[in-house]
Parts: sequence; structure tokens; C-alpha cells
Amino acid sequence: MKSSIVNSQQFDLHWRGTLSDYVTAIAWSPQGKTLAVSSAAGEVMLWRDLPNTQGNNWPLLPLQMAEGQSLDCLAFSQDGQKLAAGGQAGQVKIWCLHDDTRTYRCKPLHTIENAPAWVDKLAWNPCKNQLAFSLGRYVQVWDADTNEVIATLNFDTSSVLDLDWSPDGQKLAIAGYQGAKIWNAQDWNDDPYVLVVPSASLVIAWSPDGKYLACGNMDRTITVIEWNNSITPKSNDISQDFFPWVMRGFPGKIRQLAWSQAKAQLDAPLLAASSVESIVVWEQANDLGWEGRLLQQHSGVVQELAFQPNSFLLASASEDGQVCLWQKAKKLAQILQGAPNGFSCLSWHPQGQQLAAGGQNGELMVWSSFSRRATTGAAMTSSKVTRGQGFSSR
Amino acid sequence: MVWSLTRQWMQITCNCPYWLFGSRKTTLLNRILTYEHGLKVAVIVNEFGEVGIDNQLVIDANEEIFEMNNGCICCTVRGDLIRIVGNLMRRRDKFDHLVIETTGLADPAPVIQTFFVDEDMQGQLALDAVVTVVDAKHIWSHWESSEAQEQIAFADVILLNKTDLVSNDVLEELEKRIKGMNALAKTYRTRNAELEMDALLGVGAFDLNRALKIDPEFLNETAHEHDETVASVALVESGALDMQKLNDWIGYLLQTQGTDIFRMKGIVNIAGEDNRFVFQGVHMLFDGTRDRPWKPNETRKNEMVFIGRNLNAAQLKEDFRGCLV
Repeated sequence: MKSSIVNSQQFDLHWRGTLSDYVTAIAWSPQGKTLAVSSAAGEVMLWRDLPNTQGNNWPLLPLQMAEGQSLDCLAFSQDGQKLAAGGQAGQVKIWCLHDDTRTYRCKPLHTIENAPAWVDKLAWNPCKNQLAFSLGRYVQVWDADTNEVIATLNFDTSSVLDLDWSPDGQKLAIAGYQGAKIWNAQDWNDDPYVLVVPSASLVIAWSPDGKYLACGNMDRTITVIEWNNSITPKSNDISQDFFPWVMRGFPGKIRQLAWSQAKAQLDAPLLAASSVESIVVWEQANDLGWEGRLLQQHSGVVQELAFQPNSFLLASASEDGQVCLWQKAKKLAQILQGAPNGFSCLSWHPQGQQLAAGGQNGELMVWSSFSRRATTGAAMTSSKVTRGQGFSSR
Repeated sequence: MVWSLTRQWMQITCNCPYWLFGSRKTTLLNRILTYEHGLKVAVIVNEFGEVGIDNQLVIDANEEIFEMNNGCICCTVRGDLIRIVGNLMRRRDKFDHLVIETTGLADPAPVIQTFFVDEDMQGQLALDAVVTVVDAKHIWSHWESSEAQEQIAFADVILLNKTDLVSNDVLEELEKRIKGMNALAKTYRTRNAELEMDALLGVGAFDLNRALKIDPEFLNETAHEHDETVASVALVESGALDMQKLNDWIGYLLQTQGTDIFRMKGIVNIAGEDNRFVFQGVHMLFDGTRDRPWKPNETRKNEMVFIGRNLNAAQLKEDFRGCLV
């Protein structure tokens, strides 16, 4: 590991705080000024890095105190002025934040009530002030400008397990039993495209360039399609038209997926996936296939994965109490600690110089890097995946 | 809501070995919730209605069956439970005990299977017991209901409730009939589902280390008259079994009849082994292990019980004997 440290960024603890229970979600505002966190006790807290005030002791500002029912998802709107949180209370709460660096100015804007259904997932359209959130088998899309629910999408086959907007905000992909359904945001009444998976899709993610869509499945596979707008799907099941790649060989169900923003070979991003304590990084090797490599260090379930913006530095937070930083998504560069009972989530600052992580006992940590440098693509080893079939990554 | 046949609950324990389920309409479940056991109990009910339970941790779940691609029924799980329980497990002061209502389900097996098949459930929870409450008065007009039959077949504990509304003869007949269907369950007569908590909590019915107890009376009966397609078959043989033959037979049996075998349990004597072998199964899921050594004064024998639909007792017995050394 020594040689890697020379070339890598080093992260040092910058600030730490505590919430009263398991940190369920963590998000930076798109401009990077504010960090928001939620907990299983129902808290929502904000933190801002204000170096000229009290240094490391700058407190967390409570936006909502512990109410007993867990908050499970949290997200900032693309303009950074709205924060939405949802959870077991069946409410989606939206706050309005003022974009002033020196103070916290925020006020409740709106609450969407849908008790007793839990709100497990929510996401803002990356281009507009539209919020999509799950409600059992449905996803509703709420428009913050008109204060109206503009669409109610019926996933039908099960409760919604995950959702993700395409980076251009034109498509909304929803995962659940029997795969994914992709709605067209231009016409919500259009029938969705269906990507059939022979089990259930637990996580779904568009690549930042909008070119690929990946589904992580319960049957220990990942399905990836290349979204080509020039192809008009002929059938309801787009797997017939897009010929998905299927990655296999994982030790358990797929829990996390993360695409890199930076491009590697063939102008394709890297895809990192986790299953139990293993992480596999996939890189497109040629037009037909992807090659995977295993990253082994964690001894507990990996809870979240994320690439540093514009680089291949991969961060993984695990139940084993470690956040690992993987140089070029390949070599272990640094291990960060601070949550002895395990980490639950992490998030990169939009400019990549800070990394925040939450712990299962309410720990909240922010690390800062001293030097910034871009990393480049890496040579590939190990297994291959070709369209329609795959081999073990081990 | 029909409240006349059977009501079934499953109890799942969080990490530590503990307990069970009851009848929704206040009685049993409320007793469990209010009993001074100092435990935090989460309850998952399967349909909304007048729940009438004052507990913060009552969660409504709509049955979502996830079948895996291979069509194997033992890989059929409850997606909603995985999602909900996974979410509940995050809390620092999480529940000690989870009670899941399975009343009204066509097949309770996916609930049991969820706790054996899913990697998160398996690692953090232990299934304690399946409890079925049978309405002693109204069950008589519902014997043909497959729901009622399966709820009895899957149970570890059966409460014969409303015993004050029927005569003793009727009760005896009922017990006999239930025993014919499910030879493994422990049956209790109750009035308002009143029962000592000991009988309900920490049953450990899915714990392989607990001794298999088959009612000796059931084993001694030579012939059972079954009106139902759901029945128990008990096999008791002395002698030692050939491990390879036994494996082949069980493998074949589960492959061909796994759909019809609801549950099975057994303690067997393997040739050349000083330890007992114990096993249990739910449909095609099979779990077996080497148990304690046979005691010097203990008679080594083989006991097996199958609970299922349309079981051929004579064939099972013959095939089983074929495994003897």
C-alpha cells in the first residue's frame, strides 16, 4: 500500500458530530455549501463548513428533532434551495433553504401526507424542481413550482425498491419485483419501458452521462443496458431490444451500485457494485464485454459506495466500521474509521475535496483532503462479461 | 372480516432465542404486547382493518411474493418483509421480538422461507414458532378450506380457542383430528386465548438443538383415518441408516414431493456415527446437523415426521426402510 499513498489524496478528519440514532441518509447540497443528514430517530440536521467561526466545533443545526419514526431518505433539489425528507411517518417534508454561506436560514415549505405508507425513496429531478418519491407500489412526482402532484406512477408488481432520474431529467427509472420500469418524463401517461429481470431489482442507477442504466438484483446479478435513444424499443420488454449485459458471480444480493463520473476506456464510466462485504469494479473492455475486479478489505456488509466526482477514487462505507478509499478504484489507499459499530452511509462533496459519512450509532464525520489531483484509468485484470452471459468475478 | 376459521401468527426473535403470535382481535396479541416481559415487540399485520392494538410498532404489510427465476418454491419469499424488517433493524433500540400475522394467506411457507433464504433475515433473526389459533366452534364448517388446513399443518403451537362454546366430546374429536394433520404441534385448550406466556414465548420450534418431540401416542397409533388431504406421517424404526441412501432418498423426495411436504422433522441414527442426526425442512428447504452423542442407556432409533398434502404413508415407510443398513 505504501506506493499508492504517494500518489493519492490523503483525507484527515475535519469535523465530527452526533445524531441520536442510526444515520439513514446523508446529502450535500449541489453547490456544496450545506450537508444534510437524517436519522432513524427522525432527526434532520444541517451542517456548514464555517472555518472562520468556531473551527471544529460548529454545531449541527436541527431542522427537525427526533420524532420517533425513522426518516429514511433525504435529497436536495438541483438549485440547492429545497431539501426533502421522507420516512416511516408517511410524510414528505420539504424545506426551503436560503443560499447564504454565513448563516442557516431555512423554513418549512410544504408537507405531503400519505400515512401510513412509508416513504422509502425519493429523488429530485436533476434539471427541474420536481420531486419523485415512493409510496408503496406507487411513485408520485411533485412539482415544487406549482405545488402539485403531477404524476402518480403505478409500478404494480411490488413496492418500489429504488428509483433514479436520468441525468437529463427526461426519464425516471423505478426498480422492484421483476425488474425496472422506465417512464418518460415528457409524457407521464405513456406506458413505461420494462426491463425484465427474473427476480427483483433492488437498486438502480443511471451512469452520469446517461448512457447506461444498471440494475442490481436479488438473484445476485447485475443487468446493464446501454440506453441508445436512436433505438426505438419495439416491444414492452426492452431487454429484447437493448441486449443487456448480465454480470454474475456475486456472493449475495446486490446492495449498492455506483457509476464514476470520469470516463475510462472506450469512453465508458466504471461501475462499482457491492454484495455482502465484496466490492466488484466493472470496466468496459470492448464492445462486447465488461471486465470485473474484486476489491477485498471489508469484513462487514458494504452499506454505500461512491466515486469521488470527476475521479476514479472510490469510497466504500461498511458495517465493519471502516470507510475505505480505493485509489483508481483498484488499490486500497486509506482506511478511515470513527464508527465502531459500523458505517451506514457516505457522500462526497460535489467538488470532491470532502467526504462525509454516517454511522449506525449516530456518528457523523467529515474528512478533508489536502491535495487534489485527478486520477486516470487503470489497467484491467480478472474476469470478463459478455452480452447476455457472464462469469464469476472470483 | 371473517374471524371464524383459524388465525395464524409467526413469531420471530431478534438475535436472542425468544418468541410468538396471537389473534388480532385484541385477545392473544394484546396479551403478548401488554404482558410484563420487558420486551419491545414489533407487529406486522397483513391487511389493514380495525387493528385495535395500541402499539407504536404495528406495521401494515401487503403480501408481496417474490419468486426467483428458477421457479423453485423454496426460493419464494416475501419481498415486503425483507424491506420492512431491514428498515426496522436499523434502530438502536430495535425490537426484541417480531410478530407477523399470516392469517388469510394462501400459503404461510413464503414467510417461513424468507427467514431462511434471505441473507439479512437469516443472519439477524431466528424464527421461533408458528402459532395458529383455531376457533373450536366454527372450524367444523371449514375443514375443506385449504387455508385452514395449511395453517394447522404449519403450526408449532395450536390454541383451540372458544372451548367454552363446545362440548368436551367435540373438543376431543377436534384434538384427534388436528393431531392427525399435524403430529408435531403442541395443542392447548383456551377460552379467551389465555395461556401462560411460557407456552408461547421462546418455543424455539425451528431450533435444531431442541429435541424433536413427537407425541408417543401418535406414534403408537397404528392406523389413522384421515378425512383431510393434509396429514402427518410418522415413521419410527430401530436400526441404523446408511447416510448415502438416506441422502439420496431425501433429495429425491424433496425434489419430487417438496411442494406437498409442508414441514418435516427427524432424529436419525446413522451407521458408524456416535452422534444423533437431526433435521427439519419446510417444503424444499432442508436443514440438518450432527446433534449430541447418543447416551449409553438410550435406545438408538430413527424418528421422522412428515406433514403434507396427499402423502403416501406406505410408500414413505417402504422407502425409508430401504435406507436401513
